[in-house]
Amino acid sequence: MTDYGRRVVEKIVPKLVQDGWTIVSGFMYGVDQYAHKICMDCGGRTIAVLGWGISYQMSNDECLISNKIIENGGLVVSQWEDQIPTLWTFPARDRVMAALGHELIVVEAAEKSGSLITAEMALKLGRKVWAVPGPITSSVSTGTNKLIAEGKAKIYLSSNPSPRLNRPLDVGEGNSRGEVMDLIHDQGLDPSEIARRLNRPVSEIGAELTMLILKGEIEERGGKYFQC
Amino acid sequence: MLARTKSVAHVGLITQAVEVEVDVAEAGFPGFNIVGLAGKTVEEARERVKTAINNSGLEFPNKKITVNLAPADLPKEGGAYDLPIAVGILAASNQLSIVGDQLFYGELSLDGGLRATKGVLLVALFAKESSIFVPILSANEAAVVQDVKVFPVRNLKELVDHLNAGKQIVQLTNVPIDQLIEDAPVDFDLSEVAGQEQAKRAMLIAAAGGHNLIMTGPPGSGKTMLARAMPGIMPPLLPSEALEVTRIYSISGLLDAGESLVRRRPFRSPHHGVSPAGIIGGGSNPLPGEVSLAHLGVLFLDEMAEFPRGVLESLRQPMEDGIVNIVRAAAHVEYPASFTLLAAVNPCPCGYLGHPKKECKCTDKMIMKYENRISGPILDRIDLHVRVSSVEVEKLSDSNSKSQIPSSKELRSLVISARKTQAERFKNDAIHTNSQMKNKHVKKYCQLDGETQRILSLAVDRHNLSARSYFRLIKVARTIADLDNSDKILLNHMAEALQYRQQI
Repeated sequence: MTDYGRRVVEKIVPKLVQDGWTIVSGFMYGVDQYAHKICMDCGGRTIAVLGWGISYQMSNDECLISNKIIENGGLVVSQWEDQIPTLWTFPARDRVMAALGHELIVVEAAEKSGSLITAEMALKLGRKVWAVPGPITSSVSTGTNKLIAEGKAKIYLSSNPSPRLNRPLDVGEGNSRGEVMDLIHDQGLDPSEIARRLNRPVSEIGAELTMLILKGEIEERGGKYFQC
Repeated sequence: MLARTKSVAHVGLITQAVEVEVDVAEAGFPGFNIVGLAGKTVEEARERVKTAINNSGLEFPNKKITVNLAPADLPKEGGAYDLPIAVGILAASNQLSIVGDQLFYGELSLDGGLRATKGVLLVALFAKESSIFVPILSANEAAVVQDVKVFPVRNLKELVDHLNAGKQIVQLTNVPIDQLIEDAPVDFDLSEVAGQEQAKRAMLIAAAGGHNLIMTGPPGSGKTMLARAMPGIMPPLLPSEALEVTRIYSISGLLDAGESLVRRRPFRSPHHGVSPAGIIGGGSNPLPGEVSLAHLGVLFLDEMAEFPRGVLESLRQPMEDGIVNIVRAAAHVEYPASFTLLAAVNPCPCGYLGHPKKECKCTDKMIMKYENRISGPILDRIDLHVRVSSVEVEKLSDSNSKSQIPSSKELRSLVISARKTQAERFKNDAIHTNSQMKNKHVKKYCQLDGETQRILSLAVDRHNLSARSYFRLIKVARTIADLDNSDKILLNHMAEALQYRQQI
């Protein structure tokens, strides 16, 4: 999963949960598990469809997530009892996922991705398929862009900002927050870049960014700051 | 006839007296034996001493010679016993006379000359008030020690003349340490590094408060270049510090011949192939490792995630205590190792995670595995975490003119003044920098006002910070306040400190 995929999930999933949807995903590491996680963080319920038997021993991390899903009122389902994961089990899982969901959103898919199989299945079942467009330079957006280009999926454009995951905190008023907010409202920048563009010392910018984070107005990812 | 000369043995940085007893017996077959737990190098002194005496136009007695190095249970290593043994043999065969408070130390060459020998500074510090005879090439090390009479010896012949009241060797004059201390030559000036304002700011804070710093960024973003510029903003060594560092370099034999002092703050950058013994020190008679060679200076670990885990874990004790204890069957030694850790890592195996143009090809699992290579306890001991992003050159050239970028010299003067503030603050405590503060010092010197305290608590809550990082944030805020010439830690100081918290 790229940073872009991560941000897309954070933008889409909370909105869907708020609208009362249950998130169905495939429980693989990457976008799948992140979608489960974000859904639960927002208080939503989620269904994980396994690509292996229900009693197959998973890794520690995966056990933790699956337990959490159940604790949060979700489901972990599989069509087998003790099947080990292998090449053919995943397309079978994709079919179940497509059937369970009302609509399908493909967040990221490389040219040969399992997500594309799910998309095909969903189309066959007459489900609505959405794809999130990505940069044409990114290999993991090739599949999604192709779905759109071939008319198999609709472009998923979310113009509504996602609800804030964290309640804003009262941290008093900053003096020139507008300047920084204006700069990062449509792109992620690192503190050095912000300081350079505003022609202000980086120490000052750093302090201001901290306060904005605590207020919940911006977020930091990989050293870059984004508007929430 | 029996002659006694004095010399020394080093165990770590501790110097002990060794008495060299030489007996030239009238009875028995001619022979030459050395006893007293002598190592291989000391055993071989027989050949060097015999040849050197003969080649100096002196007479090697063709009798039964027994050399005893006392105390008998202390292991002795190195070539430094050549000179006391040679002098003992000459004295025992009535070719010269020696008096009580003369100490001999040095390795002989086959032609009777003396070679540069490591550890001379420790000899001088040990031999207060007496005379020491040391190789001329290493004698300058001893010149910085007061009260000791240093006689630089060129060769055995000159020494014999001197001791027999012939032509005298000129005693070395004492050199004050502060005259020798100099600024480090720098590979780069910080003003040559484009952009990276935040990383530079973090380096300034690290240098001012002695904080450990880790820089994360893609290849080519300038991490190594920034690190190489670090010596240029470090404050000069204090005389007492210089002596402390020189002791370590003297025992390691890393001082150049003729050099008297480590004049600059050390900057060590071991390659990631280093072994645990190489980093913390080792050997049967343990020598200092990189952590000790970086004492009071900077230890730079480039590509920190590539270092073997064992090596990184071994840094924990020195990072916490500022000393390193090395225990071997033969010896138990303690070396000082109070260094500033400067580390550079890539964000992921391919290096391009978060890069604006190049795509990162690593899977989440690979990234997680890579991040786990540096253990939590190590990261928890690093005060400043900073992201170095890749810089697009064309963006830099037009947005900022060169004159606005502060040079290393300007930054260094800020560091020096912040260090002065700290020296004043800690004059009654046994610490020098903010980073060395223990919790009691933090409580005493880092009062936070209500609002600052509240923001810190909010941040701790929000980012799930540990108790250790709580205190670390306060220490960093203290340094930022010192750089700002502020007695109190203000809200904006704390807010800036929060920028450098641990992110992974």
